Amino acid sequence: MIRRTLDALYLAGGILAGIFLVIILVLMMALSLGRPLGLNIPAGDEFAAWSMAAMSFLGLAYTFKSGDMIRVGLVIDKFEGRKKQMIEIVALLIGLGFIAYFSWYATSFTYYSWLLNDRATGVVPVPLWIPQLSYCGGLILLGIALLDELIHVLMGGLPRYEKPKPTTAEEVIEQALQSAV
Amino acid sequence: MDLVSISLLLLIFLMILLVMGVWIGIALLATGFVGMQFVAGNIPAGSVLATSIWGNSASWELAALPLFIWMGEILFRTKLSEEMFRGLAPWLNRIPGRLMHVNVLACGLFGSVSGSSAATTATVAKIALPELLKRGYNEKMALGSLAGAGTLGILIPPSITMVVYAVAANVSIIQIFLAGFVPGAIVMVLYSGYIIIWHMIYKDQAPPPEPKMTFREKLHESKNLIPISLLIIFVFAALGLGWATATECAAWGVVASFVIAWWQGFLNRYAFWQSVMGTVKVTCMIMLILAGAGFMKQSMGYTGIPGALAAWVDGLGLNPYSLIAVLTIMYIILGTALDGISMIVLTTAVVLPMIERAGFDLVWFGIFMVLVVEMAEVSPPVGFNLFVLQTMSGRDSNFVALASLPFFFLLVVAVAIVTIFPGLVMWLPKLVFPG
Repeated sequence: MIRRTLDALYLAGGILAGIFLVIILVLMMALSLGRPLGLNIPAGDEFAAWSMAAMSFLGLAYTFKSGDMIRVGLVIDKFEGRKKQMIEIVALLIGLGFIAYFSWYATSFTYYSWLLNDRATGVVPVPLWIPQLSYCGGLILLGIALLDELIHVLMGGLPRYEKPKPTTAEEVIEQALQSAV
Repeated sequence: MDLVSISLLLLIFLMILLVMGVWIGIALLATGFVGMQFVAGNIPAGSVLATSIWGNSASWELAALPLFIWMGEILFRTKLSEEMFRGLAPWLNRIPGRLMHVNVLACGLFGSVSGSSAATTATVAKIALPELLKRGYNEKMALGSLAGAGTLGILIPPSITMVVYAVAANVSIIQIFLAGFVPGAIVMVLYSGYIIIWHMIYKDQAPPPEPKMTFREKLHESKNLIPISLLIIFVFAALGLGWATATECAAWGVVASFVIAWWQGFLNRYAFWQSVMGTVKVTCMIMLILAGAGFMKQSMGYTGIPGALAAWVDGLGLNPYSLIAVLTIMYIILGTALDGISMIVLTTAVVLPMIERAGFDLVWFGIFMVLVVEMAEVSPPVGFNLFVLQTMSGRDSNFVALASLPFFFLLVVAVAIVTIFPGLVMWLPKLVFPG
């Protein structure tokens, strides 16, 4: 039950991020087409900027869970079994510690925006805490995913954020596409 | 503590985190945080972190990144790969090296729509490798030229690597893109030139030419390349003539890619969402790294390390060529352990002040960085292009690495050329943005 809820949460973050990607595309096209036609989307570039931030943060947990968050594998890949598990635990602890710290300050940043009623300086005075919700929300979600994996690995499970080594050409192509290098 | 010990401490700290398998973005954040602790005057590290990262991430210019990634994701799933082989092959029959040049040209073409070299290598190799081997071309040469030419994916704009550099170095994305065209052409000429010379020496290594075709037949074979060529010309023109910002250009590219995918019958709901979620994963991965790098850069700025290092290097009185030579060697070594994006974000904070002080243009240095990242892609043990080809060909890593070695050196030659003639890089950006 908890497992299903958590996985659904990560996926929901990923899908929201995907929706924001589509919003960016629509906004940029509307801005580009609207200019020669004399149509202007009020604060269009600001909305695109917030969508960009929302996309980047909301998809973090989903990305982490799919094993696409990169790290240097040169040394850790040499270890196996118990030693590998210890390394994973330390990496997860450090990751969790810093993401928790970061989310704490991102949340307080958003909270102060709300408290002080900060508004966008552009044409449309949107209260800034609304777009900033994606910021702290996405980071907290990543924190939960890290904690989730930490507990799983502590209980002796194999990390689920590690992609299996590709064996077929099709898998290599798929991973090549995801590597961004 | 003096600056030297602080720098060493931070460097060791970062290295330990990376070796321990901490995710790169998080390791950078942590190093930035530790750096902040050494700054006099009690800066509230947490609030600086939250404010600066929000400011860096909520940027419509950055929105070009996911859009260019998306464009590549869509085109990758179309029939482009087969069409490029069919369309390019008839024209190359008469040159020494024959169809081997398809590798270089197809990678150059695909590089103009894709921002990733691993994806370029994989897309082109998918068809070209089996076709070349079937016809009896030399396997080593085929693998090497694919590995080398695949790196054009990041040199010829659009390029994910360039966007990451532009953000890390705070220079215009469009200017870096424009700067990539001429060096991209130079690298292609170097590769094709090498293929020609090699085949003139080893005449027995190429199979006999294919049956002759008339000009009309050749055109017929190439007609499927028209949509993609139009897309490339369109994106280039929009960039070069200043019609659109990089982000708008990317949006147009995505729409055009959808049209091509729809035309070929590859656009359905499943493929659409697959491309969206793939883009989300790549973007989020890069954004966490960029966030970490941004914070580390800020923290470094507070400590004053980059400035001191720049002054120290300046004091050595190295001539600019030796500085570039030293940096090239450093990056080649780094490239054996790190991927390209990490290499850029890890080093820009300290290297850029040094470079500026030595009188180099940051746009020019972006092209230098892309070239050294390309070298990293084709050097063992972690070069991703090698890995892609290793699995696709079933050969072991040594075989592929040796096959790629000549192309690695051709990239070193390219670095030398652009260092001696920086005007080759700066000509196009200066033409479009005078002054």
